Amino acid sequence: MATVTLNNVVKRFGAFEVVHGANIDIKDGEFVVFVGPSGCGKSTLLRMIAGLEDISGGEIAIGGKLVNDIEPADRGIAMVFQSYALYPHMSVEQNLSFGLRMTGNPKADTERRVKRAAEILRISELMDRRPKKLSGGQRQRVAIGRAIVREPQVFLFDEPLSNLDAELRVQMRVEISRLHKELGTTMIYVTHDQTEAMTLADRIVVLRAGHVEQIGRPLDLYDNPDNQFVAGFVGSPKMNFINGRVVGRNTRSVTVELAGQERTRIMQPLTGAAPEAGSKVIVGVRPEHFGGAGEGDTDLVVTIDVVEHLGGTSFLYARTANGEDVVIQRDAAKVPTTSEVTVSIRKSYLFDEKGLRLR
Amino acid sequence: MSSLSSAKLRRSIALHLFLTPLALIWLFPLWMMVVFSTMPDNGIFSPGIELLPHGNFIDNFNNLQRDTDFVGAIGISVSVAVTYTVLSVLLTSMAGWALARYQFFGKGVVVGIIFGTITLPYAVVLIPQFIMVARDFQLANTWVALIVPPLFNSLGVLFMRQSFSMMPDDLFDAARVEGVKEWRIFLFVALPLARPMLAALAIILFLASWNNYLWPLLINSQPGSMTAPVALGTLIGLTKVSWGGIMAGAVMLTVPMLIVFVLLQRHFIAGIAAGAVK
Amino acid sequence: MRNRNATAYRFLAPYLLIFSVFWVWPIISSFLISFQATRTVPWRFAPGFNWGRLIGDPAFFNALKNTLLILVIQVPVMIALAMVMAVLLNSPLLKARGLYRFAFFAPVVVGEVAYSAVFRLMFSLDFGIVNKLLNSVGLPKIDWFSNVTPAMALIMIAVTWRWAGYNAIILLAGMQSIPEDVYEAATLDRVSKLKQFFYITLPLLKPVIVFCLVLSIIGTMQLFTEPFLITERGGPGGGTETLGLLLYRQGFRSLNFGYASAVAYTMAALAIAITLVQLWLTREKQ
Repeated sequence: MATVTLNNVVKRFGAFEVVHGANIDIKDGEFVVFVGPSGCGKSTLLRMIAGLEDISGGEIAIGGKLVNDIEPADRGIAMVFQSYALYPHMSVEQNLSFGLRMTGNPKADTERRVKRAAEILRISELMDRRPKKLSGGQRQRVAIGRAIVREPQVFLFDEPLSNLDAELRVQMRVEISRLHKELGTTMIYVTHDQTEAMTLADRIVVLRAGHVEQIGRPLDLYDNPDNQFVAGFVGSPKMNFINGRVVGRNTRSVTVELAGQERTRIMQPLTGAAPEAGSKVIVGVRPEHFGGAGEGDTDLVVTIDVVEHLGGTSFLYARTANGEDVVIQRDAAKVPTTSEVTVSIRKSYLFDEKGLRLR
Repeated sequence: MSSLSSAKLRRSIALHLFLTPLALIWLFPLWMMVVFSTMPDNGIFSPGIELLPHGNFIDNFNNLQRDTDFVGAIGISVSVAVTYTVLSVLLTSMAGWALARYQFFGKGVVVGIIFGTITLPYAVVLIPQFIMVARDFQLANTWVALIVPPLFNSLGVLFMRQSFSMMPDDLFDAARVEGVKEWRIFLFVALPLARPMLAALAIILFLASWNNYLWPLLINSQPGSMTAPVALGTLIGLTKVSWGGIMAGAVMLTVPMLIVFVLLQRHFIAGIAAGAVK
Repeated sequence: MRNRNATAYRFLAPYLLIFSVFWVWPIISSFLISFQATRTVPWRFAPGFNWGRLIGDPAFFNALKNTLLILVIQVPVMIALAMVMAVLLNSPLLKARGLYRFAFFAPVVVGEVAYSAVFRLMFSLDFGIVNKLLNSVGLPKIDWFSNVTPAMALIMIAVTWRWAGYNAIILLAGMQSIPEDVYEAATLDRVSKLKQFFYITLPLLKPVIVFCLVLSIIGTMQLFTEPFLITERGGPGGGTETLGLLLYRQGFRSLNFGYASAVAYTMAALAIAITLVQLWLTREKQ
């Protein structure tokens, strides 16, 4: 078990910089998820921790020891790959033991570790099979087993569930959570799926275009996003963003009018500097934070295009008077029958024009 | 529907009517090789048309063995071709692996030069190679002379580079993370996965060595060091020679390869086709 | 991917060693030798000696003419034939595909010496099966070995027989890598099979065809074994002498390495020039 520290880590491919100085502190035994859209640098960051990519700038330390120039094998890490990376010409047992055999680990110890990993993952009865004869979930277990066998200080997962179907994904997610509880080892997990991040992580690192946007516990990110990107990325369905304009301010609050809706005004308490009156802002409202008319701070008239019924809840796909799309979550019983409907905003977030949170 | 299928039938018949004679013409020289090899010399040089095999193969073979030590030459050819194939497969796949899997200084230059040699006629290096091997190294009429200079082969390297670069990166990274040394990754992960490609490469290389004529003709011209094609070639054009014997030799050179071709057609074709598929 | 100079060069070392010793150095050396008089001991530097002789040597121009003649006639005919073979072998209507493939591809495994011997026997004047068959259908015998035109034709027939199938394999592989749905879409648009060939297959196959052409040109440029063995050292009277044969004669019979190197470089220059023209003519339009 170990801490992992990234200090101003930079990655360049030729002249092209893909990670612009990442600072991340991962505590011993913590489960940290790197999340972000494709191309945000999350996998590159993981591969740099693993030692599969050179570090162009900055420092990475594992367990307090600088590992920039240390070979992957000597970093005390084990990695689970998106494609599983099982050796197709070896049996499950050979797959699990390959690394240890190749590096001259004592035979008895190798056998013990393989046996333990197989028991933890309940794959003991599959040991003689080739990967081709395994189901997707079984392959995933073997891939994780191969990491466990190394008895690493840090587990690295590179989108391990993205090749599984929806049902198996949920099942394996629970499995990985259980594994973390059981082993207590530091785990770093990369995914583009915010649901996986929310459910698995002790802390989430949100990345975009090579920048760390925010680091925090799942509910902190949900309740208190630093910027429009994080607000939009965390939570499903996405937060709605509606253009607005500052119409009034004082030392502790600001009043915003939604574009095209003169009567819809939102008053937000503000501790930082408030923007000038007349400047443009963005109002973020989560689908679940709309209420019936009069239930919230202010009311809004929208026109409903489509209603999706999911059983317990429903989603209303609607437009504001200004033509902006919004998604509204409702109890199935409370779905309106008219196309024009008045909803209230119970909770909202303000962002400035650059997308930074105003609070 | 019935009119469509009758049109198809007509097309199919036309296709076979055209292709069958062409195929027979193409098979004809091979068939005649077998026929000649079983005919006595006076039968080959007689006015009648003979299109079916006779029973004289053994006699012809004995005549051949009288004219030149063909069995010995076959022995040399087999040993040389096997050694060459093993060495060349190893060399070629190692180079292909490096080019497919590593980022290194000068990579573009190395790849460029290898591509460049494809368009360069072998004739350009023939004379200096000969001078070097025969005069400078004094290696004429040895196995080394037959095996080592032809080891350079650009299409094979490009083929193996292509094969290795199509394998998923993760597989090798997984081994790296586990601390497996690069040469062990190559030996125990990459090579086993490349088995079908290695088979294709090996077949093509074996065939090239087995049939190689010009270089062995120049460098190993002493009786007793000749390969089978060279030994057979020395007989062609001699006035007092058994043509039935020459044909028996041709059959012995060709038929084993034809059998290999039939058995391993898939690998064979893959090996040849790979040259084109970039 | 991490930069791994040492590892990469360790894997490349044996290959690069062979390459340097048996290719890089000879390419340079050959060029230098071509500027030396090599029939004196020791060799002496004489820039105009071989190249000057080359320009005025009727034997060289004869060999050049023959080589180019074979190149211009044999290569296009062979590639066209290979294309026909590939298209027909690819037809879904073909039955017993394996047999036809065997017939056309089998020559690929036949060695030059073996097939040269067979062709010599098959085409001999009085007892050759080809003349016997011509006779039996009422045509006159052809003296394949004493007249220049039939002798050249024989060389071209032999080379085409040996290599058409090889090119067909490459072309067929290229055709099979063209996605099926392109043809399905064309068929739905009522494009005829013939037009599909000219407007879909040929353009998509262009790089493969160029590859075949380049390989064939370089091969034919160095043609040696067939005129050496079939038409008896380039006979009749130098009528089938090629550059390859001239190089062999000068280099390894007269041991005139300087002159032979000049011939070799001429071959290389021609091969590269023709290849470049090929690539230029078939370049992708931007």
